Amino acid sequence: MNDPILKIQNLTVDFGGVRAVNNISFSLQPGEFIGLIGPNGAGKTTVFNLITNSIRATSGNIVFKGKSILGKSPDKICRLGISRTFQNIRLFPQMTAYENVELGLHNTPRYSLAEAFIRTPRAQRIEADTRRKAHELLEMVNLEAHADKRASSLPYGLQRRLEMARAMAARPDLLLLDEPAAGMNEDECEELIQLIRRIHDEMKYTMIMIEHHMKVVMDLCTGSRIYVLNLGSFLATGSPEEIQANPDVIKAYLGERKNGH
Amino acid sequence: MGYINTILILGGINVIAALGVSILTGYTGLFTIGHAGFMALGGYLSAVLIKEYEVHFVLALIIGGLFAGVASLIIGYPSFRSRLRGDYFAIATLGFSEAIRLLLNNMKQVGPLNIGGSFGYSIPSGMATVPVVVVALLLAMLFAHMFVTSQHGKNCIAIAQDEVAAEMMGVNLLRTKLIALFISAFYAGVAGGLMGLFFAYQSPSFYSITQSSNLLAAVVFGGIQSLIGPFITAFVLVAAPQLLLVMEEWRLIAYGFLFVLIMVFRPQGLLGYVEMNFNFVKAGWNKLVARKSISRKAVH
Amino acid sequence: MDLFLQQLVSGISIGAIYALLAVGYALVYSIYNFTNWAFDAFMAFGAIMAFIAIASLAMPFWLAAILAIVLTIILAVGTEKLAYKPLRMRKAPRLFMMISAMGVNLTIVQTMNKFFGGTFRKFPVDSVQPIFIGNVSVGRMDLLAGAISFGVLALLWVFLYRSKWGLAIRASSIDIQTASLMGINNDAVAVIIFGLTGVLSTVAGVFYGIKYAVFPMMGTITIKAMIASIIGGLGNLPAAIVGSMLLGVLETLVAGYISSTYRDLFSFLFLIVILLFFPNGLMGKSGDEKL
Repeated sequence: MNDPILKIQNLTVDFGGVRAVNNISFSLQPGEFIGLIGPNGAGKTTVFNLITNSIRATSGNIVFKGKSILGKSPDKICRLGISRTFQNIRLFPQMTAYENVELGLHNTPRYSLAEAFIRTPRAQRIEADTRRKAHELLEMVNLEAHADKRASSLPYGLQRRLEMARAMAARPDLLLLDEPAAGMNEDECEELIQLIRRIHDEMKYTMIMIEHHMKVVMDLCTGSRIYVLNLGSFLATGSPEEIQANPDVIKAYLGERKNGH
Repeated sequence: MGYINTILILGGINVIAALGVSILTGYTGLFTIGHAGFMALGGYLSAVLIKEYEVHFVLALIIGGLFAGVASLIIGYPSFRSRLRGDYFAIATLGFSEAIRLLLNNMKQVGPLNIGGSFGYSIPSGMATVPVVVVALLLAMLFAHMFVTSQHGKNCIAIAQDEVAAEMMGVNLLRTKLIALFISAFYAGVAGGLMGLFFAYQSPSFYSITQSSNLLAAVVFGGIQSLIGPFITAFVLVAAPQLLLVMEEWRLIAYGFLFVLIMVFRPQGLLGYVEMNFNFVKAGWNKLVARKSISRKAVH
Repeated sequence: MDLFLQQLVSGISIGAIYALLAVGYALVYSIYNFTNWAFDAFMAFGAIMAFIAIASLAMPFWLAAILAIVLTIILAVGTEKLAYKPLRMRKAPRLFMMISAMGVNLTIVQTMNKFFGGTFRKFPVDSVQPIFIGNVSVGRMDLLAGAISFGVLALLWVFLYRSKWGLAIRASSIDIQTASLMGINNDAVAVIIFGLTGVLSTVAGVFYGIKYAVFPMMGTITIKAMIASIIGGLGNLPAAIVGSMLLGVLETLVAGYISSTYRDLFSFLFLIVILLFFPNGLMGKSGDEKL
């Protein structure tokens, strides 16, 4: 059995008097695709925020590729190989779709500052290479046609895809998707499922997906695990079939308006 | 004729400083109302080097610029470091700029040197000719363009548009901001030096909040994330008062009004996000060539 | 020792003025997340209105002060509605809000400069004999300023921590969107906050005017209050007061024992040093961005 790529140990975070995440632990093997579901306010996005250290954990540890990443700055964590999309889309609004994606590729500029001022042939080659890779990523998410459009002008569904492309541009080993299907209708969900499956198959990322659309979760997590979070703790974990049949899970969702299928 | 020269030179100097502020504020989104302080540092150091140590003026200008750059890092590093994304930087640069001005105003002696305090510090004249300023301006434009179109420059733009997202996508905020700051302070320092060469004189009164406001105005009016916009407005802001002398006392009041109006109605300014690039020139050339060949065909 | 105590008294009295301004600055910053450069203008405006009321309209001091406060409140709230609210509604970046604020500041200060004139005027209050504690003289006005500052800040504390509207404001300072979802009227909060700004800046302006002089650029002192607020810990009201007293006393000591030329440079360097060792100020907590 290989070493897990991500190990969460007894992770807890308190906000004032509220314990948003309560002593959760889990591990992921490289290449796994798991779902993270739970009622609103369960703490799912908080878990992502803890992994990327936009929120500081109160206690516990996060081990990525064998080393603790607790307390490291978010940009360092991204460069170590963890990338994400956001629940409320955070694209660079005035940049084009192409520029948004390219940013992930040069988050650390690939040539020196001196070469920026005097664009050496080497720097130009690097830029051409970066351009090529950015277009490949746009192709992969079917956004090549919109490459030169301002991100803020794109329809919602395309923006979500763009965020994914940008996250992939950062060359992650672990990709965190935060509600990629939010606001999508049935057809769009179907397209999204195909896209995410293709990304996972081709790029071999380890992936965690937060989602409310049950169909999307159950479909993509077939053969894998789903973690159910409620009030900051894991309520249940298992295969899609097991989760769907679990009475505690059903109870936790009762009274909450389901926006899935 | 000397009048036109004055406008060209002063305008050029203003553009150089405004380009620096554009890189920091227009491209990286960091508000500054204190760049006059960096102009003062560069200006005074280069003046002293030229007058007391007979350093060649080009070298003196560069050293002055570097000095301003290093000083900016001393302010920038603690300001940008904090997790609490506060306005530390804006306040620190303003505090710094005013402190420098008051210091220069009240200090006549720095060690063995007499720098004149509020009476100013005179230096040999005649070095800031039009060709010198034009060359400096062209180099400034070129390097600024190279920077903002580079991967480093694009990271600055990402920070301006959503700093948190940029960080989460792996951009090192501290490093990127410090680079933008250093460059902007260098430009300001060189501009300060050139100003001293033109007037043959350095004075603390050159480096007041009004000067900083002028630079900010050039960027706000000219446009966010644009070099050509501030280039135009920085020139106009120097040329216009000379032509419309009566407007002088209303100038700052007008700036104030315009700042608010522009932010409310057209925050990107005149030419925001518009960048001159060679595609522009190439497209124009192609059109010209196409028209010539069509007319040639028509004749035959 | 007497010189030291004298400087201490002087430092505390300027610290009190800084405290009023720093709290006003921190209030706006903690809720709206930007630096209200126009604060500078509000302070000068308040002082000048009071000056005109006394000097030209022969009003008694207290009436003039109240009139000035009312006028400044109108100015501050008006600024919010015209120059900030449109930007706030569109979630404009902080840079744009600061440019707008700087615009307001320039307009108001330079207009006053044009019409009121830049000369330093003496506030028309009878000079009173200072009282003596041992060999240390304490100006009566300084005592009054200190007492009133303390009183105003205490009233503010009561308002923020013991009243319903105060609770609404504190909720807004944590998360303004959630606060409005809970039924808190954002517009009303804006009026209250900027109204408070008007009060604090006028009181500070009047006392500054009495202690030193009245002139349109007098508001540049607010930069010290902002520095004090950062030193204490940005966004935190008690920290703003602590930072103010600390800065006031230290910079007066520097001015007294070394030279007044270096006073402003000292304040600036003190800020840098504090930020190097306490990136969030002496009492600040690190903030976490909402994602």
